[in-house]
Amino acid sequence: MGFAASLILGGISVGAVYALIALGLNLTFLTTRTLNFGQGSVMMLAAVAAVLFAGQGMGLYAALLAGIVLVGLVGGLTEVIAIRPIAKLGGSMGWVVTTLGIGIFLQGFVAKYFGSQALAFPSFLFSPRDYVSVFGVRLSAQYLVILAIALVLVLAFEYFLKRTAWGRALQAVAMDPDLASVMGVPVRKVVTLSYVGSGILAGIAGILVAQITGTVDSAFGFNLLIFGFVAAVLGGIGNTWGALAGGLFLGVTEKLVGGYISTAAEQGIAFALLMLALAIRPEGLLGEKEVVKV
Amino acid sequence: MNALRQTVSKILGHPATIIVALLVLWFWPASTDRSTVQLLSFVMLNILLAQSINLLTGVAGQISLGHAGFFAIGAYGSALLVKSAGAPVIAAIFGGTAITAVVGWLLAVPAGRVKEFYLAMMTSGFGLLCFEIIKEWNDVTGGVMGLSGIASPTLKSLTILGMKIDGIDYFRILLVAAAIVLWLLRNFIQSHHGRAFFAIQASEIAAGSIGIDQARTKRRAYSISAAIAGLAGAFYAHLVGYLGPDSFTIMRSVEVLVMAVVGGIGTIIGPILGAVLFTYLPSKLQAFAAYQFMVYGLILMVVFLLFRKGFAGAIAEPARFIPGRALRAVGLTAAGVPARVDASAAQTAQSSVAAAGHQTDAAPLLEVRDLVKRFAGLVAVDGVSLALHPGRITALIGPNGSGKSTLVNVASGIYTPSSGQVILRGKEIGGQASHAIAAQGVIRTFQDPRLVPSFTVRENILLGAHLRYRSSMIASALRLPGVMKEEQAHLLRATQVMEVAGLSGVADQLLESLPYGYRRLTEVARAMMADPDVLMLDEPAAGLSEGELGRLAEVIRYIKSQGKSVLLIEHHMDFVNDIVDDVVVLDSGRVIYRGDMSGMRRDPAVIEAYLGIQQVAHD
Repeated sequence: MGFAASLILGGISVGAVYALIALGLNLTFLTTRTLNFGQGSVMMLAAVAAVLFAGQGMGLYAALLAGIVLVGLVGGLTEVIAIRPIAKLGGSMGWVVTTLGIGIFLQGFVAKYFGSQALAFPSFLFSPRDYVSVFGVRLSAQYLVILAIALVLVLAFEYFLKRTAWGRALQAVAMDPDLASVMGVPVRKVVTLSYVGSGILAGIAGILVAQITGTVDSAFGFNLLIFGFVAAVLGGIGNTWGALAGGLFLGVTEKLVGGYISTAAEQGIAFALLMLALAIRPEGLLGEKEVVKV
Repeated sequence: MNALRQTVSKILGHPATIIVALLVLWFWPASTDRSTVQLLSFVMLNILLAQSINLLTGVAGQISLGHAGFFAIGAYGSALLVKSAGAPVIAAIFGGTAITAVVGWLLAVPAGRVKEFYLAMMTSGFGLLCFEIIKEWNDVTGGVMGLSGIASPTLKSLTILGMKIDGIDYFRILLVAAAIVLWLLRNFIQSHHGRAFFAIQASEIAAGSIGIDQARTKRRAYSISAAIAGLAGAFYAHLVGYLGPDSFTIMRSVEVLVMAVVGGIGTIIGPILGAVLFTYLPSKLQAFAAYQFMVYGLILMVVFLLFRKGFAGAIAEPARFIPGRALRAVGLTAAGVPARVDASAAQTAQSSVAAAGHQTDAAPLLEVRDLVKRFAGLVAVDGVSLALHPGRITALIGPNGSGKSTLVNVASGIYTPSSGQVILRGKEIGGQASHAIAAQGVIRTFQDPRLVPSFTVRENILLGAHLRYRSSMIASALRLPGVMKEEQAHLLRATQVMEVAGLSGVADQLLESLPYGYRRLTEVARAMMADPDVLMLDEPAAGLSEGELGRLAEVIRYIKSQGKSVLLIEHHMDFVNDIVDDVVVLDSGRVIYRGDMSGMRRDPAVIEAYLGIQQVAHD
């Protein structure tokens, strides 16, 4: 009982982080129908930068914040150098390759200048050994905190999208950028900011995952991007609640497979799920089918 | 600059250059050290890998971020066949290649259903899944410890057919294998099978409209690409003697992509240049090795902005997709300039063009009965019936949004009917796949011309003959004599079609360099090339100049004179008036008039719906 509960809690907690990554992907998908294939490195960069800033004597929370701000900027820059100039080419091969290129550049940069060894990531709020007892089941305090942070962010994101002026502007751009532009929405700004926001969400997700794993290295991230994408696709890309449901489903499946079948299959299952989900319903389980225009 | 490119192309493509290069590579290793031989062997492997991704991504347009997966399957497959099953090395190399081809075919089933970045994600997922399996399946793959002691020249344990193979021998085997693969690949790309891959890349919908089975074509692209990568993997296993998961990470996939893209995808020479460069640099330049991934990242960042066509595009002429030999045989030089005309061959082609007779009062060829097409809440076509007779031109007109294009889309198999029937020669075809409908003789064109931009007019028009080709993939790759004969026959017919369509003057210009009017006419000519019984033209006159309109009218009359049925969607009333026999007018998805042109101009419902209520109609 305790084993299952801790697996499920672990899964929910990790899954909520996947949902955050998925939200970051959703955000840029909504505004530009593009995703940052370098998002994995963005997550890595936030965590590595936070470790380095903290190592320079900056307070831990300030360091975390600085890491997140940094990747927000990287996100915005990605839009300017890898998305906007490529848009006119049409198709997605161009921006997939350019954003992937930025990701690989960042990974190479960190590996070259900060070593490819894993850096210990400081734990904040709780240490991995702190437990809370709920109905006699010992649950990891850290997992609970991560879950809470992720859930609050998902809710805040949905609130932002539905209730704020910028959120509505973003939805207008998602619907039809030309029309939005005619109606006075600053489309370019919204698009760039969506990339900044996507970077920030990825940065937070990266820090939370680094908190769980305890270490971070330059190669950290690409798998996470795929997991986030699985969450987004399962839930229907562009859909906030779908991203949450998809993330939780993936997280719990992963942990249960790891716990009851084999930890060796924990990562593989996510990749298999991705291929399966895309093959069965590319538009996602909760998404709407896009009509092919001829 | 262009002259220079032409010279470079001539030199690179010349048989003598290739023979000299092969001879140099054959004899060079004997006079050099072991590490250079090893490096040269890696060049051969990387050429294979870069060609593999080139075929899938550059030719068929299916982006792959998982090629390391194919590479790994070939490597482990071959190594395990030798180590665990005791197979001879040659059999194991073929076995590993075959297994990889099968995996490629299987991957095409889910991957064929997705496009664009979904495909990029799926192929990344595939590569990572392969990596996880190698890393975690300890009993079979040795897990992170890897698989060591594989028969290889490095370990002096490689024997093939009873002969001890050293590093130099092995390199020569690789050289011959790479040369054979490149030769087969060149032949394949310059055949209707290869051109179909490009058609899929340019537009799957258009490919289906000329009878190319999209799913099958993609399965072929995946299998062949996987086989080449698997072959490279198998050779790799026996080159290094040790396999570990670290050789098959996503970075390997990225590296392969970089080689192909920087060299120039869609060509044969490009990936060779890319492979040579990116095998040589990291091993020879310490500085490069240290910054390798940063450099790869930077290259990927700028490649599509600065040199989309890669090195090959910078130094050589764009690749062509019709065998030079076939062009010369029908009296065209490789550049396409007519040299001499083989009269008898032209005659045969002429008679085949004029094969169909006149049957003006015969039963309808294509009939649409009570057709309904709904999109969610919207009814685009609402119970339309019409019949197309042989040797008659029917105009389908109506205001924008009246359901004309939707009707053609349903009849050509792009949409499935919500209800009602589409009947061809008395047989229901509604709901069949577009390529299947095309194969039965119903061909359509699109409102926006959908052609292969990097092809010449001639190559685009040859695509229309896809359904008429009979050569198998193997025959095409081996370039058997029958393949060349067939290609020549279609080339002759293409020449005639271009004459009718007034495209002879631009036959060998790249489509992307031509003005809009020519593209339109090229699409119509491509449809003619398919020799359809029913031709549906969606606004072929839009954007044409006066001269081009006259040419188009001639083309349509010519098609009619061949006894075909033509359905013409058009807004250009004078144009329609001059050529059509029957008119059907749609409004809001319903037929509001059918009859002849003069009757239509007097019909009050048409005047109200189409010409506007205030306007007075003139005859």
